[in-house]
Amino acid sequence: MADIIKLGLFLMLVAAVAGLGVGYVNNVASPLIEKQILKEKIDSFKEVYPGADKVENESAAYLKSDADPALKEINIAYKNGKQSGVLYLVQSKGYSGLITILAGFDISTHKITAIKVLSQSETPGLGDKAKEPKFQDRYRGKNAATALEVVKTEPLKEHQIQAITASTITSKAVTKGVNAAREHFGRTFVDAKTN
Amino acid sequence: MNLMQEFTKGIIKENPLFRLMLGTCPALAITTSVENGLGMGAAFTGVLLASNIVISLMRSIIPASVRIPAYVVIIASFVTMTDQLMHAFTPGVYKSLGIFIPLIVVNCIILGRAEAFASRNSVVPSIVDALGMGLGFTIALVMVCTFREVLGSGTFLGIQLLPEGIPAILMILPPGGFITLGCLLGFLNKMQKKYAL
Repeated sequence: MADIIKLGLFLMLVAAVAGLGVGYVNNVASPLIEKQILKEKIDSFKEVYPGADKVENESAAYLKSDADPALKEINIAYKNGKQSGVLYLVQSKGYSGLITILAGFDISTHKITAIKVLSQSETPGLGDKAKEPKFQDRYRGKNAATALEVVKTEPLKEHQIQAITASTITSKAVTKGVNAAREHFGRTFVDAKTN
Repeated sequence: MNLMQEFTKGIIKENPLFRLMLGTCPALAITTSVENGLGMGAAFTGVLLASNIVISLMRSIIPASVRIPAYVVIIASFVTMTDQLMHAFTPGVYKSLGIFIPLIVVNCIILGRAEAFASRNSVVPSIVDALGMGLGFTIALVMVCTFREVLGSGTFLGIQLLPEGIPAILMILPPGGFITLGCLLGFLNKMQKKYAL
């Protein structure tokens, strides 16, 4: 009995010291991690919608409860104090797990400025090619009016996106996410103005 | 005790992956690119070094009957720290290694070295042992990575070597890991027999 208490106390001591160590490192690292995440977000905003003066998260105003659940965040880009672009944070189910995508739209041209895959856990070497600019550039400049469609060969029509070789599921997932953003964009920022 | 011998044994004679057949899980899972292999090797070596030092220092006060839980707590703490530090300072590598950093906790090489070496030797040999084993494991990972990345994606450290269309996607899928590891083991066993390493 005494032995059990002694051993238990020993392990408790080890765990307490280890806990202190982990807590200390967490204190040092977590502000850096947060900064890293914020910086990454700002950088990707700039990449997806260049030239904005400021970008504000206005999900509260634009993301209604009946919106497509794929839409996670709606950020509005401003130029000279006027709304100029919309940056959607969307999530779509890929081949293995969720893919988080940032898609930028321009309000005056109604075109996709660019998209960026922020996080994914697709098959290394196959689906994870979605994070490469080579694939993401296929969305650049597409018109927001028509639904995008994935094709396996060289695209013939404007609204077609060529899939990543051997990763149709991933390509379709990204396109589905972009389409969700595109639909919301068309309804909120295009139709509202023309009506 | 010959320190040089303690160092080199981890690289050839007792190479954790090729000779002891430990740590095969990360060696199959993350070896799709050389960059991953180097990142995993570095994270692994850091954790092994820290845990070997602490366990060697505590070897006389850890009661034998609870040594395994004590090792696990120590190793898990260092892994958590490494995980956070990598997230803060090397976000690129952190992202591509993903779940495999926390999984260093259950990497049997680290527990194995704690049990077989650090708990029986003083600090200096334990440090040398950790460095040798870490380097040995990193070299082994990079060897597997090199074959898989070059044959599977046609690149080496991201530099395009083979033209598009030649690389066999199979090599970066799980079967490619088994094939590469199997072939490498067979080759190294043959070499070892031939040259009596």
